[in-house]
Amino acid sequence: MPHSLPSMTTFRAAMPAPIRPVDDARPATRTLPAAALWLHIHLPQLPLEILTRGMAQNRACVLVQGEGNRRKVLMANTRAATLGIRAGMPVGAAHALGELLELERNPRAEQHALENLGLWAMQLTPLVSLVPPDGVLLEVRGSLRLFHGLDGLLARLRQGLKQLGYRAQYAVAPTPLAATLLARGTTHSVVQDVHELGRHLGGLPLDVLRLAPSEQDALESIGVRSLGECRRLSRADLARRLSPALLDTFDRLYGQTRDPRPTMAAPELFEASLELPWEVRNAQTLVTAGERLLLELQGYLRAHAAMTRHLHWRLSNGTRYEEGFDIRLTHPTRDHDHMLLLLRETLMRMTLKEPVTALELKVDELVRGNPSMEADLFGVRHQAQGEAYASFLDRLRSRCGAQALRAMELQSDHRPEAAWRWRENDEPARRGGMKTLFSDGLNTRPVWLVKEPVTLPTQHGVPQLDGPLRLVPARERIDTGWWDERGLARDYFIARTSRGSRLWVYKELDGEQRWRLHGVFE
Amino acid sequence: MTLDELLQRACVWHARSGAPPLTGMSSGYAALDAILPGGGWPCSGLTEILSADTGIGALRLVLPTLARLSQEGRWIIWVAPPHVPYSPALLGHGLDLTRVLVVDLPEDESRTRVQALWAYEQALRFGDCGAALLWLDALSNLRLRRLQIAAEAGSTWGLVFRPVSRAAQPSPAPLRLEIEALVDPLPGAVASPAALRVNVRKARGAQAGLHCQLEL
Repeated sequence: MPHSLPSMTTFRAAMPAPIRPVDDARPATRTLPAAALWLHIHLPQLPLEILTRGMAQNRACVLVQGEGNRRKVLMANTRAATLGIRAGMPVGAAHALGELLELERNPRAEQHALENLGLWAMQLTPLVSLVPPDGVLLEVRGSLRLFHGLDGLLARLRQGLKQLGYRAQYAVAPTPLAATLLARGTTHSVVQDVHELGRHLGGLPLDVLRLAPSEQDALESIGVRSLGECRRLSRADLARRLSPALLDTFDRLYGQTRDPRPTMAAPELFEASLELPWEVRNAQTLVTAGERLLLELQGYLRAHAAMTRHLHWRLSNGTRYEEGFDIRLTHPTRDHDHMLLLLRETLMRMTLKEPVTALELKVDELVRGNPSMEADLFGVRHQAQGEAYASFLDRLRSRCGAQALRAMELQSDHRPEAAWRWRENDEPARRGGMKTLFSDGLNTRPVWLVKEPVTLPTQHGVPQLDGPLRLVPARERIDTGWWDERGLARDYFIARTSRGSRLWVYKELDGEQRWRLHGVFE
Repeated sequence: MTLDELLQRACVWHARSGAPPLTGMSSGYAALDAILPGGGWPCSGLTEILSADTGIGALRLVLPTLARLSQEGRWIIWVAPPHVPYSPALLGHGLDLTRVLVVDLPEDESRTRVQALWAYEQALRFGDCGAALLWLDALSNLRLRRLQIAAEAGSTWGLVFRPVSRAAQPSPAPLRLEIEALVDPLPGAVASPAALRVNVRKARGAQAGLHCQLEL
């Protein structure tokens, strides 16, 4: 057994003794507040699933324990189980049954995954406590109304666990320990009445208590195999044969004594990682893995009534290779679908220099409540419109790159190439200002500016493009910028090609006195 | 959707009633409005403008309408334009620059074309976009059909600028115009403002083959 409750003290002597049936209805020493309702989520396959849930395809995997020839299968996933592989089987025998991926346990990752599941569960209730190594306990009475009753809450839970890639058993009971034991021993039990507990718990095997092996042996040696049989022993017998701690366990189990649980406090930043079972280079596989982390993030953000606009991602391959990238959002969000879309577009655009084995997500800036809708880069003001536009911008940015999206504005400068500029990201829109300077821009400035002026050949002093250009006699002299490095002196003309295109050309007034094409009228 | 709403869409017209209702956006040129179906540019769907040369006035045909759309707060999205749209001139033509967005992709990169088409389709589908502009030469019929559907779905006016050599290729765009510059007969004289001849090559729900001359 990989698990044992460390709080249980070891049992010393096991003397056979007469067993007296005891009246089941003992006087309750204390009644619990009727309101409490506990939900335990038990993850029987957690050590294996944290290693495989990043996989897109279903491959047979086993978790292996032991050394050398004594290595045994500790857990097998469903695919491996269909091959006939069972826990406890020697690894060699398992390999004979089919192609397998062998994985090693990673206790630190298990602990981390459990914590993240706890954070995720905070969207269901703020009262979450962890039951290491494989359980999360929630007090849900206060959330029932929010989810339209227990059925609604459980449906949300089932859906969420499936998306996260965990196979789980859960149970609902009026005491925390009863919920835990029922979840370990049954699937999806719901017991709401404390008086019903005896009936539901009685049949559970002793395994669910996770006693030390010596304690379990002691009980089995006197013919006790289930919780019901154990409870029929007298308290004095129990205390004598076993540790007083077990008495206390039973009292807590049946709600005869208080069983306070510490609730988990959510950290102020979200950090989660996912190990990939093998080296991955394929972007789609990484998207599948990233989706799990985004779901956890969404749960965390919901629990905090918060949103974010900045996700830090890190891909790594042990210490050998590391690649980080950030996803910035135009508006804060906690919309999983939107974030997933951006992740997909970003990953598809990236080239990995080496395959990676782990994916990490970190979010350290939370935006609480409703974000204020200040006019941003593109002057978005109206809320609903703004959101549609923000998501449109985000999609374009992540697919085409942040530099691909541009807005423009005027600058106070007579040099044609300096009279405008691309506006930087996250820079607020400026209105007005330069309108007067080019109020006659209709016919004196071209609609298109050629990025790099093109030098035109000349014949007899006439610039050529599709034959000689015909120039409008009116010229515009621009001789300015002497105060900085980019001074210029040019005579601009409107010119027409033989095919009817109207161009903006200039003749340099100094240096080589070249003719150059600088713009295209329409 | 009610029947009335459906009939308002450019994709539906009455078989018996002859000309479609005047639902177009005025182009700002009376002579052009007179030959466009609906009395102006369509509010949604693709419009192809085929021109013999760059710089002869294709953009000028649509600038007054783009200016009005931007002043109404709709986005004008330019996808992979051939040169830098020059903001002083755009402002001179009345565009609200805060509503102008350029998707500027690196030239001569193999995936630029694919990205441009993708970005253009996104722009067409994005509901607050008034007009989305694209400059691409080779476009398959299938791709054009996809873009037409996107433009209808997003109620966006999709403008596609292509060379006149593509005129012979069948196209699902409901409106196709061909423009040519009227080059002055006398060598040495320079026509300014520019003169243009516009031919309606295809107009769904209206007569094709109409033409007009414009001085821009």
